[in-house]
Amino acid sequence: MGIYSPIKAKITKIIEETPSIKTFVLETEREFSFSTGQFVELTYPGVGEAPFTPSSSPLRKDEFEVTIMRVGRVTNLFHNAKVGDVLGLRGPYGKGYPVSEFKNKEILIVGGGVGLAPLRSLIFTLFSQINEFKKIIICYGARTPDDIVYKYQIHEWPKKKNVQLRLTVDRGDAEWKGNTGVVTTILDDLPIKIKEAISVVCGPPIMMKFTTLKLLELGFLSSNIYLSMEKNMSCGLGKCGHCRLGKYYVCKDGPVFKFEDIKDIHDIWD
Amino acid sequence: MKDTFVITKQSFLRLLDSISKTHNVVSPYGDDNYIFETFNGSFTFNKYRAVTSIRQFLLPSQQLIEGYFQEDSYYKRPFCVVGAKACDLQSLKVQDYVFLDGDVDEDYKRMRENNIIISSDCTGFKDVCFCLALDINPYPEDMFDLNISPVDDIFIVDIGSEKGRKVVDNNRNLFQTVRDEYINERLNNRQRMLDSLKENIKKQGLVPKGALYELIKGGYENDVWELKAKDCVECGACIMNCPTCHCFLLCDAKKDSQFVRGRIWDGCQYKNFSRVAGGANPLKLRKERLRNRYIKKFEFFPDRIGVYACTGCGRCIESCIGKIDLREIFRNLYSKKAKV
Repeated sequence: MGIYSPIKAKITKIIEETPSIKTFVLETEREFSFSTGQFVELTYPGVGEAPFTPSSSPLRKDEFEVTIMRVGRVTNLFHNAKVGDVLGLRGPYGKGYPVSEFKNKEILIVGGGVGLAPLRSLIFTLFSQINEFKKIIICYGARTPDDIVYKYQIHEWPKKKNVQLRLTVDRGDAEWKGNTGVVTTILDDLPIKIKEAISVVCGPPIMMKFTTLKLLELGFLSSNIYLSMEKNMSCGLGKCGHCRLGKYYVCKDGPVFKFEDIKDIHDIWD
Repeated sequence: MKDTFVITKQSFLRLLDSISKTHNVVSPYGDDNYIFETFNGSFTFNKYRAVTSIRQFLLPSQQLIEGYFQEDSYYKRPFCVVGAKACDLQSLKVQDYVFLDGDVDEDYKRMRENNIIISSDCTGFKDVCFCLALDINPYPEDMFDLNISPVDDIFIVDIGSEKGRKVVDNNRNLFQTVRDEYINERLNNRQRMLDSLKENIKKQGLVPKGALYELIKGGYENDVWELKAKDCVECGACIMNCPTCHCFLLCDAKKDSQFVRGRIWDGCQYKNFSRVAGGANPLKLRKERLRNRYIKKFEFFPDRIGVYACTGCGRCIESCIGKIDLREIFRNLYSKKAKV
C-alpha cells in the first residue's frame, strides 16, 4: 500500500439535495477518521479522483458523508453511482478547522452553495460541545430556494441554544418569503462583538472574495477570518505541485487558511 | 580506509560491466550532445551534462503505482547513473525534499536507496551553462556515491557514500592507490575549469545570485512575463528536461477487470495544470504560467528549504523552441528594477 493507493468505500445511502447536488453516505472497508475541515480524495474506480471535504460529524465512526456537486467528468460519474457501488478513498489530508481556538468565542459561519458541506461538518462538531462557544451565527446563501442543501435539517439548527440561522437566495420563487440577495446582504447588524468574533467562510471563489471584503469592512480581524481555499489537486500530499498558493500548498498547509496568512499573496481569488 | 583511488579506463569498463549484473547502467553517449543510454560495453566521458536530466532514473515519466505500466520491468531494476554532473546532483536536494519529506514516496525512496550514482567532473561547458553563478562548482562535492575525475589517462575515484564504498570493496582489484601528482593535476584542472566558466558567465551578464529571490518577489507585475510568454508554444520541454521539476498527475484507468493508477509527469506550463472542475483556472494565461515557473523555482523553494530550485544547467534555455532564456528574463527584471 503506497501513499497514493485508495481503500474501498461503499455507498450505503444517497440523498438528493438539489438538482445538481447529492450527499453520499460512505462506509469504509477499515476504520477511517478525520478532523473537521480535512479533506479526502475520492476515486471513481478506473476513471479518476477528486477532492472533497466530508460534510458529516467526525464523531460518527461507522460512516461518513460527502456532499458533491455535479460539475465535471468525475463528479458526473459519482452522481450516476448507486447504493452498493464501491468507490476509492484516500486521506484524510490537510489541516482542518482549529476548533479549540474557537472556544469561548462568538462564531460567524458563512456558506455559499455547496460550500455549506464542509461547514456542516464544522457545525456538527461545534454542536457536540455547544457550551464551549458563546454564540454561533450561520449565514447561508444559495442561488434559488431549490438550491438550498440540507433542507431536511437546516431549520433544526437554530433551535439549539445560542444558535441563529440566516438564509438568503439570489432569486426567490412564489413561495420564498425570506431574504433575497447574495450572502453579503445578510451580514449586517450581526448581534456579536465583531472585533473578538471568529468567522469561517466557504463557498465559490467569487463569494469568498466578496464575503471576506465585507467581513473586513464590518471590522473582523484578518487573523479571525478562516477561509477554505479551492485549488486543483492531484496527490493531496504536497508532492504533485498543483495547488501552490504563495509559499503554501493548499493540500498540505490548508485547505483552511487564516486570511491573515494569505492576504499578501497575489491573485488568491482567481 | 582511504576514500580516493585511481582506476584505469580499461578497469572502469570492467567496473561498469560488473555493476550491470545488478543494475541498469546508464551512461551518456554522443559527441556534443550526450544522451543517457544503457551501457553497451563502451564508455564515453561526457565533458558536461547530458541533454536530459537524471530525473527519469528516479521517477520515470510514466510509472505504475498499482498494476498498469508494469510490463515495463526495466524500471523495476535499480539504476547506476554514470556521468551525472554537479548540477544534476544539486537537483537531488529538491527532489529529496519533495518525495521524502513528510509522507514518503516509496517508489522514489526505493530508487534513491538502490540506485548508484557515479558522477564526474566537468571538463567543458555548454554556452548555456551557468552553475557557477548559483555557487555550484562544476565538479561534484557531495550527493554522489562515486565521482570520477579524468587525469592523464586514468580516472581519480572519490567515494562519497557507504554505497560507493561497497562498490569499491566488491571490485577492489580494479582500483589502485592514488598518487599525489594526480591529485595536484586534478586541482589544476578544476581551477582552469573554474576560470574559463567564470569568464563565460561574465560574458552572459548574469544577475547576482543573491538578487534572484527579490527580483521574482518584486517582479510580479513586470511586463517581461507577457513579453516572453508570447514566444512560448507550451511544448513543455523546459519542464521535461529540468532536473528540479517534480510535478505529476495521478491518472486512473481500467485494465481488463482491474483498476489501475499511474503517475505521469505534469508541468505548470500546460494550460490545464491548475484548472479546477468548476472551470476556474488561476493560471489561465501563458504569462501567468511562465511567471509561476519562476516563482516556484526562485521564491517557493527558497521559502520552503532555503535553496533555489535551479541548478544552472541551462537545459530550459537549450530546449526552448521559443528561445525563452532564463538569463535574459532575469536581466530584464534587473534592469527594470535598476531604473526605478
